[in-house]
Amino acid sequence: MAFFEFNHIKVAGVACAVPKNEVKTESYKPVFGDEEVDKFMAMTGVKASHRTLEHQTCSDLGYRAACELLAHKGIKPEEIGALLFSSHSPDYRRPSTAFVLQHRLGVPEEAVCYDISLGCSSLVVGMQTMASIMSTSDMKYGLLFVGDTAGKSVNPHDRSSAMLFGEAGAVMLLEKTQNEADQIKALVRSDGSGFKYMIIPGGGYRNLHASEEVVMCADGNERTLMNSFIQGTSVFTFTIFDVPRLIKDFWKQTATGPDDYDCFAFHQANLYILKQIAKKTKIPFERLPITLDRYGNTSGASAIVSLCDVYGAGNDNKTIKVMACGFGIGISLGATSFEINTDDILPIMEDDEIYTEGLITNPNQLYEKK
Amino acid sequence: MKGIRPDVDFENETELIDDGILDSFDVVSIISEIDDAFGVQIRINELDPENFNSAEAIWSLIQKLK
Repeated sequence: MAFFEFNHIKVAGVACAVPKNEVKTESYKPVFGDEEVDKFMAMTGVKASHRTLEHQTCSDLGYRAACELLAHKGIKPEEIGALLFSSHSPDYRRPSTAFVLQHRLGVPEEAVCYDISLGCSSLVVGMQTMASIMSTSDMKYGLLFVGDTAGKSVNPHDRSSAMLFGEAGAVMLLEKTQNEADQIKALVRSDGSGFKYMIIPGGGYRNLHASEEVVMCADGNERTLMNSFIQGTSVFTFTIFDVPRLIKDFWKQTATGPDDYDCFAFHQANLYILKQIAKKTKIPFERLPITLDRYGNTSGASAIVSLCDVYGAGNDNKTIKVMACGFGIGISLGATSFEINTDDILPIMEDDEIYTEGLITNPNQLYEKK
Repeated sequence: MKGIRPDVDFENETELIDDGILDSFDVVSIISEIDDAFGVQIRINELDPENFNSAEAIWSLIQKLK
């Protein structure tokens, strides 16, 4: 069983940023029809989402969040020992986006930097990876970036996905401490038999130059091989059975239950799924914050978006116990628990800054002298 | 099932999926309710439209998985 327990490591802070452009779900009514859109909003809870500009990336949003978080904590980039970018929305096919962020932030060469290719579970698995690195090294701080710009790969005529996804970048700062009580626990699972349930079939090295011809798919939605596919019913079935089981197993492993947590920062898949998970695990729904209505499904960033939404505006210097859960593409799922001071949860920021140095539209830009 | 789609005549309809009367949201809701009511988990390999075309077919699936 992939259960992890890390001592002397704490979550020192979280922050997130979303693009400024807000898209109301109602605006899709001329495309998909009133009835379809109304039913979608009732079922998923998504009434609006934020979308990036053409060349704006998840790392741009994460960069803004990281700058604000490091300034808030009074920590210099030189103190960061590990930088992980856990996302399915890299800036480039290669190299890892972690290196771009390292350069942009000024994180030193002594740091370990790499990407983790995950979507909705990226926070939990990213935390488990970062805590593992920190536990076995002498570093004091690790910076974990999560989030996606999933809307960029969705066909605009795909009614199953076009209205669902929001875009966000989030960051979590982990710190090694001398305090026995600082603990992070994580339970992680994977089911590769579902690798086709959520997929972009083209553009990888299996089919690098896949056709971009629009095809009417069996589910009645138009897509190309370069678009995101979601087999909704299969995904639903997995989430309503396997995620509650994971949560109950996590509680068993940690000798905790729904009454032991102040906040359930769960991946904002959709409202129906979250209600089903809460019902099957007896989690009080009022302690499971919802941000789907204003930000949509923001993939791996969504748990942090929810924390920032609920606690970001206050400054009551209170330590809360959080259980986070991420589940989705892979299939990958995980649960984790940690404590955090509410003063270290920053409010949601809106940002449209683009890293112009990283935008390469002509190959000869790579040969320009600095 | 009436609670999920009160407008559907579950007693007489035999083409619930094939005629597009139920959509994927409805099917998922029914699957979840079946788990709550009977403790039967309908997994992905049982998601054949034939198993959801009528109340009788759904009942047969529950009996098979019980």
